[in-house]
Amino acid sequence: MSLVQTQNLTKIYGSGSTAVTALDHVNIKIHDGEFVAIMGPSGCGKSTLLHLLGGLDTPSSGKVFIDGASLAEMRDDRLTELRRRRIGFIFQFFNLIPVLTASENAALPVTLDGLKPAEAAAKAKEWLARFGLGERLSSRPDQLSGGEQQRVAIARALVAEPSLILADEPTGNLDTRSGDEIAGLLRSVSKQYNRTIIMVTHDPRIAAYSDRIIFLKDGKVVDETLLEKKSNRNAQIVADRVKEVGD
Amino acid sequence: MNLQLTLAARYLAGRKLRTALTTLAIIFGVLLIFGMNTVLPTMMAALQANVQGAEGEVDFSITNVTGEAFPAGVLDRLRDVDGVRAMAASLNRTINLPPDYVDGDPSHPDTVIAINLIGVVPEEARSLRAYPVAAGRYLDESDTASAVISQTLADAFSVDVGEIFRLPAASGMTGLTVAGILPADIMPGNEEVLVNLPQAQLMTEEPGKVNLIELNVEAFADQARRAEIQAAVEAALGESYQVGTLMAGDEMFAAMEMGQMALSLFGVLALFMGGFIIFNTFRTVVIERRRDIGMLRALGATRRTVLGTILAESLIQGLLGSVIGLLLGYLLAVGIIQVARGPISMFVNVQMGAPVFSPVLVVVSLLLGVGVTVLAGLIPAWNASHITPLEALRPSLGEGEFNRGAGRGFTVGVAIIVLTAAAILSGQAALIIPGGILFLVGLVLIAPAMVRPFASLFGKLTAWATVRGGIGGLAESNLTRQPARVAVTASASMIGLAVIVAAGGLVSSLTGTLYDLMQDNLGSDYLFIPPSIGLWSSNVGASPSLAEDLRQVDGVEAVSTLRFAATNTNGVAVSLLGIDPVSFDQVSGLDFIEGSESAYGEIAAGRNMIANGSFLLSTGTKVGDTVELLTTDGKVPYRIVAAGSDLLNAKVTTAYISQSNLQADFGSTEDVFIQLNLSPGADRAVADAQIKALAYDYPQFRVISGADYFASIKSQMDTAFSAIYIVFLVLAFPSLIAMLNTLTIGVLERTREIGMIRAVGGTRKQIRNMVVVEALLLAAIGTAFGILGGLYLGYVFVTGIEVIFPLGYFFPYTGILAAVAIGLIFGVLAAIIPARQAARMDVVAALRYE
Repeated sequence: MSLVQTQNLTKIYGSGSTAVTALDHVNIKIHDGEFVAIMGPSGCGKSTLLHLLGGLDTPSSGKVFIDGASLAEMRDDRLTELRRRRIGFIFQFFNLIPVLTASENAALPVTLDGLKPAEAAAKAKEWLARFGLGERLSSRPDQLSGGEQQRVAIARALVAEPSLILADEPTGNLDTRSGDEIAGLLRSVSKQYNRTIIMVTHDPRIAAYSDRIIFLKDGKVVDETLLEKKSNRNAQIVADRVKEVGD
Repeated sequence: MNLQLTLAARYLAGRKLRTALTTLAIIFGVLLIFGMNTVLPTMMAALQANVQGAEGEVDFSITNVTGEAFPAGVLDRLRDVDGVRAMAASLNRTINLPPDYVDGDPSHPDTVIAINLIGVVPEEARSLRAYPVAAGRYLDESDTASAVISQTLADAFSVDVGEIFRLPAASGMTGLTVAGILPADIMPGNEEVLVNLPQAQLMTEEPGKVNLIELNVEAFADQARRAEIQAAVEAALGESYQVGTLMAGDEMFAAMEMGQMALSLFGVLALFMGGFIIFNTFRTVVIERRRDIGMLRALGATRRTVLGTILAESLIQGLLGSVIGLLLGYLLAVGIIQVARGPISMFVNVQMGAPVFSPVLVVVSLLLGVGVTVLAGLIPAWNASHITPLEALRPSLGEGEFNRGAGRGFTVGVAIIVLTAAAILSGQAALIIPGGILFLVGLVLIAPAMVRPFASLFGKLTAWATVRGGIGGLAESNLTRQPARVAVTASASMIGLAVIVAAGGLVSSLTGTLYDLMQDNLGSDYLFIPPSIGLWSSNVGASPSLAEDLRQVDGVEAVSTLRFAATNTNGVAVSLLGIDPVSFDQVSGLDFIEGSESAYGEIAAGRNMIANGSFLLSTGTKVGDTVELLTTDGKVPYRIVAAGSDLLNAKVTTAYISQSNLQADFGSTEDVFIQLNLSPGADRAVADAQIKALAYDYPQFRVISGADYFASIKSQMDTAFSAIYIVFLVLAFPSLIAMLNTLTIGVLERTREIGMIRAVGGTRKQIRNMVVVEALLLAAIGTAFGILGGLYLGYVFVTGIEVIFPLGYFFPYTGILAAVAIGLIFGVLAAIIPARQAARMDVVAALRYE
């Protein structure tokens, strides 16, 4: 069954002669528990697609269905609730609140949902400990390394137990080693906890951690590649596909 | 703690300097409101204590509605009222003592500055109160010039039983023999001098009269029974009498309430400026945190949560600022009362205790402080709640939106300014006065659109001045980068500086007009001045014989006196002055708003009066109307034949009638103020000696030549006016905070850029200069607006005063110079901290700053 589905999803910025089509009749299906990477050259509409899937932006035409429900029919309150309970976000720049501790940052979605502070803290602690941050609960973001900050952000994305995780260039601001760590972590989250993950990236090595890659170009889906499980050749395959599809 | 409060508290703590600066604005406003509203009521409480100290523990006290004395026979009307256990009539007068009267030592202020003279029927008085004489004896019916006083007063005068002390009185200096001494008084209030009723009537020139009846009702009467007895008493006395507290001091309460209102207005203005500062801060906060807010929204925070977070922040700041403001306001009040104790006792005879403040004031101050802060945070908070999650992930600022907003504001603002200018041209006070506020609103509205042209105009000046520094242009473009913020800052400074310019307008107009008036009103050769000028009822005057004796002095050409009676028309307390229509015009004179000198003839001819502007305004009457004035025997009609005022009585609701009418209707013959002129060829030395000899027996008057009085009043007025400037300077203080706040925010926001300038070779000095130039530009814009607003506001003040007092408008050159100087000084001061901060920035850290 597909958790996420789009139907002729189109997004046009501006109007008249200055109109730019960011997404052009995109139809994709993403299944429960799948780890999908979206790739493509700059300006191909990767981030726009992710924003539309997360209900952060509204399409010019077409629809997004999450678990069969159309986002277009939802008012701001419903969308907000959906984001809080069903979707977890991971951003390139981590976007942690600088004045909150690692534990408080990770607990944000459940705190916003009205969970008692002690229970929220316990949940955050649980996730942070799984990601090796059990000792850094009280640290503020500026006391953490980039990789650690992104792990806090992943804990935050998972704390409300959402079925869908949207990650926008999660390794874009990290060095190679930390990038690999984070991508590996996302893969294990997908498999171990059966989460659907959609990740935008332009790095073939990071994309190689996924199950399937959707290539976008000029707002259209131009190719889809399924990857074999745990193959060392995956990175090379992805790099080759990128060349074929054209940067 | 909930998430909103946690976030609010952490964000506030994370930007300590900015939090402190913003909170300072609130502290200042609350401090002014609370402090000033504590000082004046403390003075009022002192006054009330003086009045009530005389009243003691009786059940009812009865006075005439006018506050004047009434025939002693009125007491008989109460003899048959059921339930009255005991009663006594008395004549109470406060006698203000001249400075250093008691100890004669100018280096040491007197502890006793006024006494209450109380004339009683000895046995009657004893039926109400106990007089436990510690030494000597209590009063006896047959006593004449004998008195019972407290130990404290006996010590102050250094007298003992059988010895004589002297008091000023209407009949001249009077010696009283101490018959008995009461234990030291522990109640607050003036010291009391108890004499037989006829003696008091003699000393105050009120034969056969009393001004207070006190009575005690039967024992164990409950609330209902007391009300019943009170009704019976009121019925027996008629509507000319009232049951309750003593009414003395009404005039003073009114004057103080005016002052309190003015000072509260300053506090509200200061809070208003504080509102601008907070608004600016929160708007910046919201822009700065776009990404955080957007992220919260992306994670599922509702709009309400975001709104709540920003409002929680303003609530915390409002509470913090208000509580600190309350504490500092209290300290300010204590300080002012300490400092003012001496000088104030020179003008009014009141001794002040510890500051008095009401729980209501605390609540109102808190509400105002917190309310303004939350209100100022509301629009930015609303904007924050409407940030979409996506907006936060993009680095864009709505410049186009600002231009559209500024354009709309500009159009409305220009329309308002044109309308208010038309109001000035119309010359109608009813249009000009509300126009003042509207004009400021108009300036606030056009401010955003004017920032760029103003900045570029002043920028050319600073660029020229700093041509070698290479940073002038940068400062200008930095400033115009956030025109909305600059506009809000300029608006806050504008209000502060406008008040200074307006004060300048008022002061130059007042001095210009008043000095002329003083020559007219008080230009006589000699003046007999009582301790409290303008508040006539608290003075003991002189019997007409003094004026008569003065007329006999060789070389005296004319003597004019003022007599006083308190009255009331339609519930408005009126100070009624009796003048001699012939001699008054020779020696002094009124300035007529409507009518002319021929009115003196009319007030001599019948029940006619000349009303001052304040009278017309507070009673809603006009020349030609007839009003009913309350006397001790009922109401009498008086027709208003002209409107005019003299300098001393301009601010008090006053009417002038002839002395013969004052005597006939109000029974007053006591002169409270005397002016006289010498004939041109008089031997001044001889006349001077004779006048001073006559004055010797009346130490309640200060005798001074008109020229000396003019000089002393002028110096007093100059002092008062410089005090006004200082008060207004204090009021301009928030504009300093506003500029400091804006500059600090600007530096913080540009941390990375400043790091970049340093990285490519900018010196610390250049960075420092850049911030200073920016500050000067900011100050120049605020000052330019302030001068415009102040000119209009000054005109409004003058127009407002003109309603009750003739005043011409003089252009406030001094005020404008003061505003320019203060604006520039504040600009430089405001730059100190941010400039240092910017110059000392660590380059690497600054480049990494987010």
